[in-house]
Amino acid sequence: MTPIQFLLILFSFLMVLFYFQRLRSRLLDRFVFFLLGVVAVVMVARPDWANAVAHFLGVGRGADLVTYLGISGLAFLWLGLYTRQRELDVRLTELARRMTILQAEAPKKKGRRRK
Amino acid sequence: MPKQAVLNSDIFIVVPAYNESAVIRSILRPLVASGYSVVAVDDGSRDKTWGQLKGLGVHRLRHPFNLGQGAALQTGVSYALQQGAQYILHFDADGQHSPEDIPGLLAPLLAGRADVVLGSRFLRKEDWQIVPPTRRVLLKMAIFINWLLVSLWLSDAHNGARAFSRRAARQIVLKENGFAHATEILQQIRSLGLRFQERPTRILYTEYSKLKGQRVWNAFDIFVDLVIKRLLR
Repeated sequence: MTPIQFLLILFSFLMVLFYFQRLRSRLLDRFVFFLLGVVAVVMVARPDWANAVAHFLGVGRGADLVTYLGISGLAFLWLGLYTRQRELDVRLTELARRMTILQAEAPKKKGRRRK
Repeated sequence: MPKQAVLNSDIFIVVPAYNESAVIRSILRPLVASGYSVVAVDDGSRDKTWGQLKGLGVHRLRHPFNLGQGAALQTGVSYALQQGAQYILHFDADGQHSPEDIPGLLAPLLAGRADVVLGSRFLRKEDWQIVPPTRRVLLKMAIFINWLLVSLWLSDAHNGARAFSRRAARQIVLKENGFAHATEILQQIRSLGLRFQERPTRILYTEYSKLKGQRVWNAFDIFVDLVIKRLLR
C-alpha cells in the first residue's frame, strides 16, 4: 500500500465516522453515506477494480471515472445546498417582515387605524 | 367616475429606503404634506436613515438587517394593507420620482379602469429626453428581457413608481428580495390576469440618484436571479 492510499483511506474513514457522530441520523442517509465510504475505500485500495469498472463504462482510467462522478456529485450537492439556501432566505425574510410590522411606529397625530 | 370619495389618507405610499439619510426627509415631506399616508421602510440602513424618519408624520418600519428593495416593498405593502389602505403606491427614496406624477398614476385606479398602474419615463418626450443615453440603451434591453421572460411589452422597465388597487396589492406577493422584483411584479400581473396601464412619470437624474441607482453590472445580476429562479422553480 502506497502512502497516498493510506491517507485517502484514513480520510474516508474519518469522514464516515464524523458523519455518523455529528450529523443526521436518518437510517437511509447513514446507509447511503456508509456505502459511499466503502466504495471510496475499495476504489483507493484496489485501483485495478476501479479501472475495470471504468473500462466497462467506456472511460479510460479509474481515476478519470472517479473525477467525472465526483464532479457530477458535487454539482448535485451544490444545487441541493443552493435550493436550501433560498428556502432559508424566504423563511428569514418572512420572520424579519413579521417582526418589522409588529414593531412599526404609526405617526402620532393623524394615525388612522382600522380593525 | 369614482364610486365614492377617496381620502388621501386611504392612499398609502410605500418608500423603501436604504442608506438615504441625506435626502430622505426632503423626499418624504411633500408626500406627507399632500395628506397621503406614507410608509417608510428602512431596509436595515447603516447610516442615520432611521433617525431621519422621526417627526415627519410617517409610518416608520425598520428591517433588522438589509434584505433588499423587493423585500422592503413587500413589508411596506403588507403593513399598509393591515392599516386599511385602499390604494398603494411604490415610490423610490432617492428623489428620482416627482410627487406631481402621483395623481396621474392613481387616476386609472380611481376610475376603476385598471388594477395596476406602472410609471413610464418613455411616454412623454420631455421625460425621455432627460434620460442619459447609456441608461436609455440599458432600459431598452431590460424592456426586451422583460418581454422574453414575461411576454409583456412595456415602454419602460425598472421604473420604481407604481400604483396598485387594494385587491391587486393583496394578490401580488413579492418573493424576489433584490431588484428582480420589478420583473416579478410583471410576471404576477400577467399570471393573475390583472388589468394594468402605463402612465407617464418624470425621472429626475440628479447626481445623487445616479450614484445610488442601479449600475450597469447590476442588470446582469438581476438577469441571473430571474433565470435561476425559473430553473429552480
